[in-house]
Amino acid sequence: MRSDYKIILDLIPENSKVLDIGCSDGELISLLAEKNISAQGVEINQERVISCLGKGLDVIHGDINLMVEDFPHNQFDYCILTQTIQAVQKPDVLLNTLKKVGKNIIVSFNNSARLSKVVKFLLSGSFDSLLKKSDSDQWYNTDYIHPCSIKDFRKLTLDLDLRIIGTYDVINQKKFTNDRIPSNLFCKEVLFHLTND
Amino acid sequence: MREITENKEYPGFLLKCNEHLKLDSGKSISNFQIAYQTYGKLNEQKDNAILICHALTGDQFPAEESPITKKNGWWDLMVGPDRPIDTNKYFVICSNVLGGCVGTTGPNDINPETSKIYGLDFPTITIRDMVRVQKILIDELKINKLVSVIGGSMGAMQVLQWAATYPESVKSIISVAGSLKHSAQNIAFDEAGRQSIMLDPKWHNGQYLDKDDKPENGLSVARMIAHITYLSEKAFQNKFGRNLQEKKDLSFGFGIDFQVESYLRYQGRSFVDRFDANSYLYMTRAMDYFDVSEEIQKNKEEIINHEVRFLVLSFTSDWLFPTKESKEIVSLLNSIGSNVSFAEVVSDRGHDSFLLDEPQFFRVSEGFLKGIK
Repeated sequence: MRSDYKIILDLIPENSKVLDIGCSDGELISLLAEKNISAQGVEINQERVISCLGKGLDVIHGDINLMVEDFPHNQFDYCILTQTIQAVQKPDVLLNTLKKVGKNIIVSFNNSARLSKVVKFLLSGSFDSLLKKSDSDQWYNTDYIHPCSIKDFRKLTLDLDLRIIGTYDVINQKKFTNDRIPSNLFCKEVLFHLTND
Repeated sequence: MREITENKEYPGFLLKCNEHLKLDSGKSISNFQIAYQTYGKLNEQKDNAILICHALTGDQFPAEESPITKKNGWWDLMVGPDRPIDTNKYFVICSNVLGGCVGTTGPNDINPETSKIYGLDFPTITIRDMVRVQKILIDELKINKLVSVIGGSMGAMQVLQWAATYPESVKSIISVAGSLKHSAQNIAFDEAGRQSIMLDPKWHNGQYLDKDDKPENGLSVARMIAHITYLSEKAFQNKFGRNLQEKKDLSFGFGIDFQVESYLRYQGRSFVDRFDANSYLYMTRAMDYFDVSEEIQKNKEEIINHEVRFLVLSFTSDWLFPTKESKEIVSLLNSIGSNVSFAEVVSDRGHDSFLLDEPQFFRVSEGFLKGIK
């Protein structure tokens, strides 16, 4: 199981209602369903939508950049964005909308400012290394259009008036305590648990 | 009293109901009958049944060869052995709608009260009335819960009505190229079609059968108008362009110059042979009156409690029932907290895509049905 899914499964209480944005073939939704959590997915790729449907999962086919306004307000307990935020056209607009759609928002992403990435960038002199999500990605065709650091994301939550309930080091499955702010330099993958109240 | 018999006029069956049925208009009909056809086998538990709702000009023969057109049934690609709605697995039921002209009681039947053809004395019916009659049929077949109710266009309206009115009787529904309510533009197109029929002198105020006459020109033009709305600009362009019909030069007259004109006229003419003008009036009116939003809101608790699962499908080039309107269905269903899925199929063939060979559409539907437990 993906490391960020483990944290999410521990985090969300039973009988919650969840919206999983960029749900792929529904792995997380299936896991949540086993815990008696009802989840709806959003997915842009039609093949993956078909795969979700075949598993009996609820999924909305579409581009999240264009459709998040379609979701009614206060319908979900949790909105989840795993490894998606950096591919969204306007992360601030999306988060602002999700704030109205659900009480809690969970966001996981790879920290683009970690030392290994920065060094690679400096040594290669190419943005490909910073913007790479898959091997075929180049700076001009990547979906990874908003590389961001832990520091960047914390600033955005402040700007949007979102409260951070918890921050997790995904690889090491550890929750950061308040006096230990996650390191921008060494944490590879981070997960934020945010709330709108 | 209700009785099921063989249908002597068409393949399939007739459910004859000797009772009063109160309609949304406040009027009622008595001694009505429902013509239907089935495919596949109903299992012992009676829990493998799927109801298919046909569109405006459809009939109860979606699969196999149609006894009316002698061509493949209108949803032959969707319904049959090893098709997305697999008749090896499911028992498929399809009935002609109330007000129709293929065996179910409609404006061209005899009014038992006057012993004359109904004509315009037939009460105005609604989509909910059509669904009421379908529910009677399902009850008579002793089916408590349908695996799914599936339909496109006017069929999608019936499907949504089923979920709103009888959520206890459906596990799931699939709405294809549908909407919560008929748009102003669609009402406008319907009105143009109706006027074309009613302004034909051969319509005789709806009593044309008494006069052994038929408003063929009016119905034909109504069909031509409607047919344009079923396609897309690109579909017309790809199919015909500005190609001339069996000639090299323009005729400088008003005969058929372009292939597209010939095609439309053919569509109009051939429709007259298989469809009735008064049925066309009644059914388009039922679509105009359709607005199921309030009833879904009102019955939201039943819809949630019975865990009805919804699949809403649209096609990119459909401008008659555009994706926007399918998304409105999804938004409403989301707002009441129901189980809803949605997919938009890429196709440049317009509203008619739901009747054509669209593999993505079939795979989405099949996948969804597979997930219904």
